[in-house]
Amino acid sequence: MMMAKTGTDIQIAICGSAGDGTIASGDIMKRAAAAMGFNVIAFDVYPPEIRGFGKCISRIRISTKQTYSLKQESDVLISLNDGHAIPHVGEVRDFGAVIYDDSLGSQVAEGGHISAHISPAQIPYGFGVRQISELATNSARSRNIVVLGYAAGLFNLPSDGFHEIIRSKFATKAQIVIDSNIKAFDAGLQVGQAVFKLDDVEVGSDSKETNGAEAVMMTGNGAVARGFMEAGIESYFGYPITPATSIMERLAVDMPPTGGKFLQTEDEISAIAATIGAGFTGSRAATATSGPGLALMAEMVGLGVMAEVPVVIAVSQRGGPSTGLPTKTEQSDLNLAVFGGSGDAQRIVLAPTNVEGCYRCAGMAFDIAETYQTPVILLIDLYLSNRYETVIPAKENTFAPKPRKKVSVKKGEAFKRFEMTENFISPRAVPGEAGLMHTATGLEHNELGRPNDAVHMDMSIKRHEKLKSAVHFPGLNVSKRFGDKGPVDVGILGWGSTFGEILETMYQAQAEGISCSAMKVVMLSPLPLQSLQEFFADCREILVPELNYEGQFANLICGALEKPVTRLSRATGTPMEVQEILAEVRRLSGQDPAQIQIAGAEGAQT
Amino acid sequence: MSAPLHYVIIGSGSAGFAAATTLRRADDDCRITMITMDGLPFYNRYDLPQVFHGRHDWRDLLAVPPAFYDTMRIKLRRRSRVVDVDGSKQLVSLAHQETVHYDRLLVCAGGRGYLPENLIESARLMHGFGSFEAAMQLYRDLPKGGTAIMIGGDMVGIDLALTLLETGYHVSLITNAQTFWPHKITPDEQSVLLRALEAKGMTVFEDHRPVGVTRDNGGQPASRVILEDGSEIAGDVVMSFCGLTSSVEFMLGADVDIERGLLVDPELRTSNNTIWAAGDVCQIWHDTEKAYKFFHGWENVRVMGKLAARNMLGEHEIFDVNIEDRIEIDADGQLNSTFWVHR
Repeated sequence: MMMAKTGTDIQIAICGSAGDGTIASGDIMKRAAAAMGFNVIAFDVYPPEIRGFGKCISRIRISTKQTYSLKQESDVLISLNDGHAIPHVGEVRDFGAVIYDDSLGSQVAEGGHISAHISPAQIPYGFGVRQISELATNSARSRNIVVLGYAAGLFNLPSDGFHEIIRSKFATKAQIVIDSNIKAFDAGLQVGQAVFKLDDVEVGSDSKETNGAEAVMMTGNGAVARGFMEAGIESYFGYPITPATSIMERLAVDMPPTGGKFLQTEDEISAIAATIGAGFTGSRAATATSGPGLALMAEMVGLGVMAEVPVVIAVSQRGGPSTGLPTKTEQSDLNLAVFGGSGDAQRIVLAPTNVEGCYRCAGMAFDIAETYQTPVILLIDLYLSNRYETVIPAKENTFAPKPRKKVSVKKGEAFKRFEMTENFISPRAVPGEAGLMHTATGLEHNELGRPNDAVHMDMSIKRHEKLKSAVHFPGLNVSKRFGDKGPVDVGILGWGSTFGEILETMYQAQAEGISCSAMKVVMLSPLPLQSLQEFFADCREILVPELNYEGQFANLICGALEKPVTRLSRATGTPMEVQEILAEVRRLSGQDPAQIQIAGAEGAQT
Repeated sequence: MSAPLHYVIIGSGSAGFAAATTLRRADDDCRITMITMDGLPFYNRYDLPQVFHGRHDWRDLLAVPPAFYDTMRIKLRRRSRVVDVDGSKQLVSLAHQETVHYDRLLVCAGGRGYLPENLIESARLMHGFGSFEAAMQLYRDLPKGGTAIMIGGDMVGIDLALTLLETGYHVSLITNAQTFWPHKITPDEQSVLLRALEAKGMTVFEDHRPVGVTRDNGGQPASRVILEDGSEIAGDVVMSFCGLTSSVEFMLGADVDIERGLLVDPELRTSNNTIWAAGDVCQIWHDTEKAYKFFHGWENVRVMGKLAARNMLGEHEIFDVNIEDRIEIDADGQLNSTFWVHR
């Protein structure tokens, strides 16, 4: 019988009810794993309802290898609430572990306990979670920490790392809170260490190679905020909205000590108006919102385009339209980000595909906005906003503002703020610079900024032509191809958070012998047409997986290249699954299914 | 149309597994739930000495792959301890406070190793061998070439002892009334068998009564058995193999007759007409001897499981096995026992 080894690539899912501390325990697990040197990808799912209702799941993938997405199957499920966890037992792989409380506080009918749902191929680990919590801390509230300790004991993870993270997580609380959480952890640890391990979930201790800097655990939103800070953001105006709020929360803490100006406005329209006002004055200005907020901001984005004001707008998409699915992910604001608003108002839209990309794109966004004198939209989604990954920040800050090129005018001449130059990018001055006074207006205007209908065509050309070179912006990968070089059977084209699953799919497809490539497109406006054309030329079939109903990215690409693609569009509020992309890749590859060597099939045979 | 019957089986060993598969093959519609404290699907405990031959992956010991249960639609509830059976309401209560209703209940919870009363206080210093986990723990704790002290030496223990001797370990056997249990042998026969074991390298201590076990702190050897006369026997691990005690505590409220085991008629039905029992947990009425008798051994237990299942389905078959109770030494000096059908 083959032993299905998992190496050091495990995924732990912690499931409970809001108020059980599910997300908190997941946070400690992921931070501890990152501190131990593992690559970590994590994603929390929580309900829109208040405490005491709804399901929370924290999924954490811990690996010694480079990973790009969560796995479809978890290796371990920890239940803090059987009612919520039972539907997820099926996501645990064979010979994986299910950890649960076998000391429930009340009677349940047949099937009400999670042990009734564990398959014969899964390994049950029941223990008195509630009892141990009460014994260790005189309270059942530490159950979430007890199970963490148990998992650490079972999988032989060092307790020191957890202690440190617990201390840091509760640093603002009374010492007794820290002490009782550590007691709860140690009590669980002791039980976990004593258990005879029957699963085949293996946790190694190999650390990943780093560039000498310390790997940092952050979410997509955290990465955006960090990128903004390293870029020297000076002004932020925003209005809270899920799932973008945590960008604002982070900046509210980080900006004031550096002299930055932070203001929560009364709504999104005020936020974007103030941001554009600040951008006009030369301040590095940004806001963050979600789809409904961007819809409100659309008119003012048009002002930014028309008045050629550099601002950065981070947009984290959620399920829509309207209030839609506020706590579920979707990629359905592409049209709004790229085209939203009145008139021909092309702007730059960047869509990073992972947390590190969020950091880098956010850091570079101001430079890009200032170079092209236009709003830059940083388009992410809830899956990326809330996803945790280990990121290695650059050793040196390359995002800091560079001195703006001084503008001079000949004596007696008026300053042409919107001068028609060779590259269509005009000299830019900010209010207060002597002799460079000018008008910024939403009306169509001439080179001086004065209202003038007659130049509309010329100015439209200018506003579009100046953006074309953005696809060559130094240091920015606006697109990147992975996998097989040259002609391939299947090319997978993706954007945003979905690209992690696409990349995992591509590597699996290659392992199965399918000729396959993947390309991520980071710049959605303007599109990197040349690299897209080369990719299309190389791929017999193009598959475009994305998380929306209409296939907005596929529409964008097909419109630009006038070539057909195969769409894989899905709007369920959950991330794309590798297996569903892989099924399409297999089908498109045209290979005889019998000839495809499905990875892991041999090892799974027992 | 009436709802399908729910058969609940307490225990997932030879008897329980044989019963569950028999039930499914006869009734495609019924619900079958097996409840066990074990963490693993059914494996043959008689194979546990194989861990000393390098079989450390529990999947190698399974009787059937885990998927078999899904195919057979047998719900396997592991790590679930039954704390009570309410025979009138037909409810099984589990320790985690879940209740399971049954239409017909089969108890084949087996037994646990019997420990002489004078050694109960030393139980925590002794190794068990009743599960895969215990067997692996013994394997890990017994140093290569080390000595295992065996108190009693029932046939499960003798089986392990022979494996240990074959794989380079030493065994010190302290005999008592349970040596060679469940075989009933005369003192002369016992003497012959013990000499055969000594010929295989076993050290045998006869006529000594252990009264306690101690474990040195850091010294070698790790464990010592203290005898009644004050002398000591040294080794690395200590184990007791003194036969079985039926696991029946949870049946006290079930309205069934209990002696040392659950008392059943020759059809394996208890005094409650919705509850049957099979295997090491039950004593079967023997009409000739006018007594309730235990029938141990793998083959007996398996036959009981199948028979109980058929009777739960409405048959009226009688347990009437006549498996020979025999232990002998063959021409090559090998011990053979009818208890060891698996060897």
